[in-house]
Amino acid sequence: MGKRQKILILGIGNPLLSDDGAGICVAARLKEELDRPDVTVLETATAGLSLLDFLTGYDKAIIIDAIQTVGGTPGQIYKLTPEAFDTAEHITSPHGIDFRTALELGHKLGLNLPSEIIVYAIEAADVTTFSEKCTTPVRKAISACVNMILQELENNNKRQQ
Amino acid sequence: MKKITIDPITRLEGHGKIEIFLNDAGAVENVYFQVPELRGFEKFCEGRLAEDLPQITQRICGVCPEAHHMASTKCLDDLFHVDPPSPAKKLRELFYSAFYVTDHTTHFYILGGPDFVMGPEAPVAERNIIGVINKVGLELGGAVIKARMQNHHIIHMLGGRAVHPVFGLPGGISKGLNEEERKEVEQIAKDSVEFAKLSLKVFDDIVLKNKEYVDMILSDAYTHRTYYMGLVDEKNKVNFYDGKVRVVDPDGKEFAKFSPREYLDHIAEHVEPWSYIKFPFLKKIGWKGFVDGKDSGVYRVAPLARLNAADGMATPLAQEAYEKMYSTLGGKPVHHTLAMHWARLVELLYAAERLLELSKDPEITSPNIRTIPTATPDEGVGIVEAPRGTLIHHYTTDDKGIIKKANLIVATVGNSAAVNMSVKKAAMALIQPGKKITEGLLNRIEMAWRPYDLCLACATHSLPGQAPMEVIIYNSKGEVVERLKR
Repeated sequence: MGKRQKILILGIGNPLLSDDGAGICVAARLKEELDRPDVTVLETATAGLSLLDFLTGYDKAIIIDAIQTVGGTPGQIYKLTPEAFDTAEHITSPHGIDFRTALELGHKLGLNLPSEIIVYAIEAADVTTFSEKCTTPVRKAISACVNMILQELENNNKRQQ
Repeated sequence: MKKITIDPITRLEGHGKIEIFLNDAGAVENVYFQVPELRGFEKFCEGRLAEDLPQITQRICGVCPEAHHMASTKCLDDLFHVDPPSPAKKLRELFYSAFYVTDHTTHFYILGGPDFVMGPEAPVAERNIIGVINKVGLELGGAVIKARMQNHHIIHMLGGRAVHPVFGLPGGISKGLNEEERKEVEQIAKDSVEFAKLSLKVFDDIVLKNKEYVDMILSDAYTHRTYYMGLVDEKNKVNFYDGKVRVVDPDGKEFAKFSPREYLDHIAEHVEPWSYIKFPFLKKIGWKGFVDGKDSGVYRVAPLARLNAADGMATPLAQEAYEKMYSTLGGKPVHHTLAMHWARLVELLYAAERLLELSKDPEITSPNIRTIPTATPDEGVGIVEAPRGTLIHHYTTDDKGIIKKANLIVATVGNSAAVNMSVKKAAMALIQPGKKITEGLLNRIEMAWRPYDLCLACATHSLPGQAPMEVIIYNSKGEVVERLKR
């Protein structure tokens, strides 16, 4: 049996801005459910370059965050890979750099980044009202997303055996 | 020209939006810079313990949590009428200096730098940190990552834990430094000073030795004669953590100097129907519109404003860099918006030098880091310089320290009027009737707001997320002529 993959589950978001905390909620629930030495669950409110600090040293990363798309329905869950952002509009915070550029930079500088990165993005309804609660459709999506990721980890396990 | 009513509610969520309106001749008639506001903050804070606010407010913004944390902590000192012991103040400033190194580094290399290093006409795909590294070298990229990582390590060291650090308390801090940690900080500070010097050299080699860039910096399209605001120490030198708020007029003369509790005597906020963001102005001059000059109450904040409002930098290398900047650009005050990028690097050097100074202070490993408050809380104001400008936290509580009212004047807001003016002026100079609107042209308009390093991160840090800035040009019939998203 080969060496087990080191997996990072990273929830990103702002827990004070309603649905913006979705990623953090998913990570918090996963932390309760998981007790595996090969899986690390973390939460963060930062993105951009700081992501590289988190991702370095893992074989696989599962990132969870809120998203708002044109025409999207709140509660929808998208499973994306970094390549998906190649065709997206340039997405840049005035402070940070977009996800794609951060990864490109990391590879260029020879950082030990995961060979597989998956992003679970939950369509948000409200990310500008101060509240520690998510909206109803997003709360449902959070539960569904937790199960999706647990299933993914199970499948991962089976593939490794 | 057809009158167009802009409904802020139709803005896209999480965007800052610049809308440019052309008249019948195709020249720029007006420009509006709209920012979505985060709703319900006051209500969210009401009924909470004031002592929780440094934790709560640092989560407003995923990019500069340390700034809110520090302003909130100082507000608590004032609220509880307690003076922290000297080692605590020095440790707070040490923590804050490390934060400034990470933040200014990030801004220059990710946002500001690329425009100059790659050139404003370079394709979008190259105008980012990858382009910079391709041009200047891999080593520099590594140095940027290292500077940020090392200084984040200092923040974590003092914050006690990686996620949502606990550091500031009314009357002091929760954790100090032992000798081993102090040595680490000293080494990181030395590396940071070298990195800051390197960054100024990069700016010198690539920007200042390029006549086209220098002309662009000095051009009228990117110039505004406004008042300037920043925190200064007793010697009127720039200080990020503490001091009095100083305001100078467009000629550089001191106009006002006040302590935190007096801020409402000096700063008022103007409201426009087309944006959620408010426009602070100097009360004693009054709101005269989005105009320059001594008679207009518009002021600016953040690096260039801080350097303009002060008499110098408190550390030697930064002072040298400060003098070089002013002698190159024709004396004080400097009104050229693009010079904010230069001022930011001067501040980067100061932050690193200050970090080094404090790491060697005999009191810095003292265990005396807290004075427990005993007075009854009522009302407090705390002011720090956030990287993006003067940041004010103001809390009113009942006698048990439960928040009745919380008011924040967030750094970026101090520049909101100036940003509108800067974008409009650049647009008017660059968009001419009959002239084709190219991507490079739109980028030059965006260069008018980038130096301000706007904190829209509150609404846009989610990853993946919406494009946080959109420029839309309308002709006189209200039809969209051009659209640029970044």
